[in-house]
Amino acid sequence: MAVTMGALCVLTMVNVLVRYFTDLSFAFTEEISVVLMVVMTLIGASHAFGNNHHIAIVFFVERRPALRVAARRLATGCSLLMFGLLAWYGVRMAWDDYLYDVTTPSLGFPQWWYTIWLPLISVLIVLRLSVVLYKGEK
Amino acid sequence: MDWLLFGIFVVLMLSGVPLAVAMGLAGTAVVAASGLGMMSLPTNVYTGIAKYPLMAIPVFVIAGLIFERAGVAATIVRFASAVVGQRRGSLAIVAIMVAMILGGISGSGPADSAAVGAVMLPSMLKAGYPRQFTAAVIAAAGSTDILIPPSIAFVIYSLLVPQASVPALFAAGMIPGILSGLTLILVAWWLSVRHGFESEPAEVRPPFWQSLKDAGWGLAAPVIILGGMRSGFFTPTEAAVVAVFYGFLVGKVIYRSLSWRDIYEVLVESAEIASVILTVVALASVFAWASSTLGTFDHLANAMLGTGLPEIVMLISIQLLLLIAGMFLDAISIYFIFLPLLIPIAIHYNWDLVWFGVVITMNMALGQFHPPLGVNLMVTCRMAGVSMESTIPWVLWMVVAMAGTMFLVTFVPELALWLPRTLGYL
Repeated sequence: MAVTMGALCVLTMVNVLVRYFTDLSFAFTEEISVVLMVVMTLIGASHAFGNNHHIAIVFFVERRPALRVAARRLATGCSLLMFGLLAWYGVRMAWDDYLYDVTTPSLGFPQWWYTIWLPLISVLIVLRLSVVLYKGEK
Repeated sequence: MDWLLFGIFVVLMLSGVPLAVAMGLAGTAVVAASGLGMMSLPTNVYTGIAKYPLMAIPVFVIAGLIFERAGVAATIVRFASAVVGQRRGSLAIVAIMVAMILGGISGSGPADSAAVGAVMLPSMLKAGYPRQFTAAVIAAAGSTDILIPPSIAFVIYSLLVPQASVPALFAAGMIPGILSGLTLILVAWWLSVRHGFESEPAEVRPPFWQSLKDAGWGLAAPVIILGGMRSGFFTPTEAAVVAVFYGFLVGKVIYRSLSWRDIYEVLVESAEIASVILTVVALASVFAWASSTLGTFDHLANAMLGTGLPEIVMLISIQLLLLIAGMFLDAISIYFIFLPLLIPIAIHYNWDLVWFGVVITMNMALGQFHPPLGVNLMVTCRMAGVSMESTIPWVLWMVVAMAGTMFLVTFVPELALWLPRTLGYL
């Protein structure tokens, strides 16, 4: 997982660099780098769910030990719901793109090559969150 | 419907659900309840982050980290102490100066505080500064980072307020950022003199020219970033990429301090920091879409304008509101929640949107080191091993100083607008 993130970052940078140094209008690399960024964000988000790194206001619940465990569960459960919904409707979005042969504006690739990543990684996040929920607090 | 949106968000947020998820679910609930079509959910999340300008965020995070790992921070510390010399509070002053210079490379406050803390904390403690004071100074200094360009906060602001371009915002943040830094230096110096910190010289003053030569590579980075953008060579994203490769070369070829392992770690770490930010952006766009489709913010803005408050009272109440919000929320979430409400008000009063962006970003900077939930202060307190409450006697002085600077910029808009106008961005 970490390797993909590193690779994605480098690719993103290379894309921009190529565009700059060759001095040609490589506008289409933008399209790829943007998709890479989406993928990186989602993978990183999954990672951050595992490490509990997402920004949350735990100020109020951390003060009351009784609430703490319940709050953690609620947080994980809500995140699970959110990404579950994203996975479900994301599949339908990608399916629509596939069905209607939507192509991307600058490269002309099938749009679903790009949009499929959202539900795919959302499923990954759902799995990860289920593990967190199952194992309970670290 | 409006209440449902905010109600769910506030309840989830206060119960410790990640902010991104709280915003996303509140938006989703409203979309579902009002039958706006659930397919807008994945579409908004996807298009919310699939934006080219956002690419500047991960890349600026990498830039900051790579310069830290390359050992650039240490040479800048030596240079700053050569400039400051030995006097009361010199190390505190050095810490603030270093934070300001690093702020010209990276664009996020907590990352900058951590970098400065790692370098300055041990020597400040050795010189006899109290831990609480040290944590407070470094946290406050790190907050100038979101004002001094490049700044992630400004990139997001410009995304939400297209009338204010990124270069104009960067230029506008320059003088207020430096001014805040100088005010903080003054406060840190005054506190040090009053409490007699560092009464004996801690270290020998490094020779000026030698340290300038060593630090030159690091000092050139902000010049390259800002100069490149000014001359129209790069867009902000490209400037960030160039900074990353420059930092890579400096670390690999000149200092020879970066191993491949370091680079790998930098990439992983920055990917995670950036994706935490971008997750908020992605899910907040569901919230933003739901609220703008419902016209929630138009209702609220009209209600606020309908009170007929004088302009100046309105401005000050907005600042107070943001100050309170800033104690609990991070800058990016605040932009997504409040800007749709505030921009119509700003347009109604004909406020300059670049200046407005600078003022509210100063407000965010203040929130970054204001107890009980300043992110920078959290970072430095953890590093110094003190509780946040214990820093209050020190940090409050800095909050007051920063608030003073903020009100100065509020009432003298030229402080922010002069530079971008001179450079021709307005």
